[in-house]
Amino acid sequence: MKRLAPLLLLLPFLALMGLLLWAMGCALVQSLGYIPAFGLTEFTLDYYKALFTDGTLAASLALSLKVAFLSAASSTVLGTALCAALLALRRGRRGALLLLRLPILVPHTVTALFLIVLLSQSGLVARALYAGGLISGQEDFPALLFAPGGMGMLAAYLWKEIPFVAYFVAALMGSVRDTLGEAARNLGAAPARAFFHVTLPLSLPAIGSAFLIIFAYAFGSYEVPLLLGSTLPKALPVQAYLEYTHPDLLHRPYAMAMNGFILLVSLLLALVYAALLRRKLNVGRVAR
Amino acid sequence: MRRNPLPALILAVAGLCILLPVALLGLWSAAGRWPWPELWPENFSTRGLAELLAPYNRTGALLLSSVGLSLLAAALATLVGAMTARALAFHQFPGKGLVRFGAILPILVPGTVLAMGLHTVFLRLGLADTLSGVVLVHVISALPYTVSILTDVTQARGRGLEEQAAVLGASPTRAFLHGALPSLIPGLLSAGSMAFAISYSQYFTTLLLGGGQVRTLSLVMVPYIQSGDRTLASCYALLFVGSALAVFAVLEGLIHLWTGGRKWN
Repeated sequence: MKRLAPLLLLLPFLALMGLLLWAMGCALVQSLGYIPAFGLTEFTLDYYKALFTDGTLAASLALSLKVAFLSAASSTVLGTALCAALLALRRGRRGALLLLRLPILVPHTVTALFLIVLLSQSGLVARALYAGGLISGQEDFPALLFAPGGMGMLAAYLWKEIPFVAYFVAALMGSVRDTLGEAARNLGAAPARAFFHVTLPLSLPAIGSAFLIIFAYAFGSYEVPLLLGSTLPKALPVQAYLEYTHPDLLHRPYAMAMNGFILLVSLLLALVYAALLRRKLNVGRVAR
Repeated sequence: MRRNPLPALILAVAGLCILLPVALLGLWSAAGRWPWPELWPENFSTRGLAELLAPYNRTGALLLSSVGLSLLAAALATLVGAMTARALAFHQFPGKGLVRFGAILPILVPGTVLAMGLHTVFLRLGLADTLSGVVLVHVISALPYTVSILTDVTQARGRGLEEQAAVLGASPTRAFLHGALPSLIPGLLSAGSMAFAISYSQYFTTLLLGGGQVRTLSLVMVPYIQSGDRTLASCYALLFVGSALAVFAVLEGLIHLWTGGRKWN
């Protein structure tokens, strides 16, 4: 009975994991062109090849990779800075933390609406610039949203994820700062030196995890590119959904190859990160 | 010691960036005519509000069913999370590392993969286009957060009280219910509110796995954002954010009541 206890406790979790793994397996098998129901019975890598050789698909892939990487990198850097500022506050830290929770609650779809209201060519920023005489009409304001560069998507992810990073990193950074960071200060290190040489490096595990979460989210999410992305190229998830719902069922493997690629990149990144983390921990152990 | 004004300044800028768009939505929701290049609406109207409250939109029913669906998904995700957390915190078993990895997998698996892969599976299981299917995918999406929050809480609480109760002759069930559960309540509510936020925000998973049969506020709102009718879109967005905050306030209030305002984590 005692040995069975953990199994019983884990049963519902394992059932849900089973569903998840089954779903991933289905997506991967179909991405290899094996869907007997549609008369596709041969395994092939052709659909993956198309991702790199077909002009439209390759452009989608490049756009999604770019936006995911830029979002993750800038949110992590700015979010970490925000977290450091938050921890350095003397008063009002609780209120500030409460404020940072608001963007975490607001869904990406509403964030897209914020940006449409603010940054579109008839948005309030353009109106303010016009009123200030800096531009002479709507068309003078750069088309940030719905543009192939993906700046609108990037802005939406930044608004959502910078506070997320600050919130996510705060627990670890706070405890490091109050212990080892404080010790470095007592031993005479200047605040900046204590932060960059002690607090920041020791907070890296949380910062790295935040990067990974944001990258995987931005790479594979549908809402933001749907509402703020360009018609051409479309972000990979939007293109994948288009292929998935294509009336010609033979397009299904293309959708799944895109999903498969998104999945493989995210998992690969996670594995590299886990390996780095383990190595770092081992190095730490040897040093001690 | 000299005070460095930089942190307060950074927080002030961040606060402005967070609150300004929300305030603008409030303005847009009540705007009547607001053409380019005006910086302030020409007039205000209750058109958005009237549309929102129009009987044919059945907004009240939509709101109730959305909140209900997300509370159900949150409760399930919290229950599964608590059971998993207990296994991770108090038991040794082979494959523990795999369970920990599995618990973060839904974060790493991108949304489109999760939705399209599960859609294929659910078509086979007869769960596609059903409420159960949508609840299941919401539970899976929220699971990483509930497992992580509750593992921390369960570990921090330990099983001291429960063991004492057992030593004094309580049955395992009674020892759990009276020894362990009361101290876990705030953690459960906190994990539940996180799971609620995840579920309430879901768009793509609900769209694909609900197949139009399951309507949620998050789903209904998106076409208005796409349509370019900023007044109506703002009304829906405010309703969404307001109702999410209300549920959050209730859950926070329950935590406060339970702990009597003491710090619990």
